[in-house]
Amino acid sequence: MTKKFYRTGLTFLFCTAAIASGCGRKTSSVQQQNPIPAEQQNADAAGFKEFSDRVNDYVKLHKSQEVLLPKLKQTELPEMIAAHQVALERKIREARANAKVGDIFTPAAVKSFQDVIESTMQSAHGPNVDATLKQAAPLPKMSITVNEPYPDGVPYTSVPPTLLLIFPKLPDEVVYRVVLHDLLLLDLKANLVVDVIPGIIP
Amino acid sequence: MRAKYIQRRAFLAIVCSIIFGAAFSVLAAQDFKFPLTQDSVRFAVIGDMGTGDAAQYQTAQKMIDSRVGFPYDFVIMLGDNIYGGSKSKDFEQKFQVPYKPLLDAGVPFYACLGNHDNPNERQYKPFNMGGESYYTYKKGNVRFFVLDSNYMDPKQLAWLESQLKSSPASDWKICYFHHPLYSSGRFHGPATDVRQVLEPLLIKYGVNVVFSGHEHVYERVHPQHGIYYFTEGSSGELRPNNLNKTAVTDKGFDTDRTFMLVEIAADKMYFQTLSRAGAVIDSGIIPKQPRTPIQ
Repeated sequence: MTKKFYRTGLTFLFCTAAIASGCGRKTSSVQQQNPIPAEQQNADAAGFKEFSDRVNDYVKLHKSQEVLLPKLKQTELPEMIAAHQVALERKIREARANAKVGDIFTPAAVKSFQDVIESTMQSAHGPNVDATLKQAAPLPKMSITVNEPYPDGVPYTSVPPTLLLIFPKLPDEVVYRVVLHDLLLLDLKANLVVDVIPGIIP
Repeated sequence: MRAKYIQRRAFLAIVCSIIFGAAFSVLAAQDFKFPLTQDSVRFAVIGDMGTGDAAQYQTAQKMIDSRVGFPYDFVIMLGDNIYGGSKSKDFEQKFQVPYKPLLDAGVPFYACLGNHDNPNERQYKPFNMGGESYYTYKKGNVRFFVLDSNYMDPKQLAWLESQLKSSPASDWKICYFHHPLYSSGRFHGPATDVRQVLEPLLIKYGVNVVFSGHEHVYERVHPQHGIYYFTEGSSGELRPNNLNKTAVTDKGFDTDRTFMLVEIAADKMYFQTLSRAGAVIDSGIIPKQPRTPIQ
């Protein structure tokens, strides 16, 4: 009885130590390592640079329109938040009335995004990224159109953090979003679809 | 050499935290009672509540009633605060009306963003987000870290690390965000990609407790790396019989709406989970884990 107790105890300690050791190594390396080979990172750099330049131009435009509106402060009135969102959305839409798919996600940028997404999906991180995308709340049939608002009340799919680690960093005004197989660039305050890469997410 | 030394220390700290975690696992209280000590931190926990339907209202009413016997000072919201839209009437029907007695009594709510929330909710003053999608605040000896698990980008992770680093070991560290790192829910399951980037920080800096929503059930999992995880995603929504209890499940409930009451008094956290009907679903006392941040 006592022997069995000790044996169970030792097995427990061994297992917890083994698990902890495995998890510790795995998680810390995940945090630090970019799954994209250095050679490929260099190849994709030009496309990402072009993308970042376009994003910065967009953010300048965003700011130029936002200053025309009264500054939105925190409020107890949701209608004030909604009104500011709609007013900003309209101003930006007017300011880039000819916006179209590919203005920000240029062909070179699309190639770079394609490369890093494919490499990530084929890496050890692929299953977790895939699981995150599949765990999303079901989305209704919807159309995503550049320079149109993201539909009100439609849930968001979490952008897998592994992808956020390797995608170009964005200014606070914009975020990446995933809708089914599309990658979006979304203006957060204006709730506006800035650009989209259709079908890039497997 | 130094890297090896740090690795060894990290390994030892993780093993110790697991062993202590097992030793100090939740003490199931047969005759559970909140101590209601003078300087304790008392709060309620709700998640996935913003439906505006009768079930949300009934659960809210039970939560309001429970304040008579357990006078909590604030409420934490685990996301999906407002389902289905962000018009004025949505805020009214799904937040202002059901929780009116609490709002009138000056009970503050501290929200995080769920996948159904418009990010501009951060500008809604009663959610106390300070205009940010992730933020921190302190109540007594408890530091809360409120995260946006919809978008766990390097900037947010760097912010969290700097905040955790500057938080003294004597404080309780509680994180809350929408997507659970561990879950036995059938519908979504655990957010493993978020876990990969977030959990190392929670372990490294000695986070004690994590609350999440997203799965429309209640679940308390066995401590993972010494951290206690709760999923409270059924304060409005519910996915009946959706819990597929696994090895990580310590306690689960998926047949009615629930909310939690929590009191942190010195180095103990007392919690009770109640159903919409007022039945006690779970309760216990968690001693503050003797966890030292790894430098």
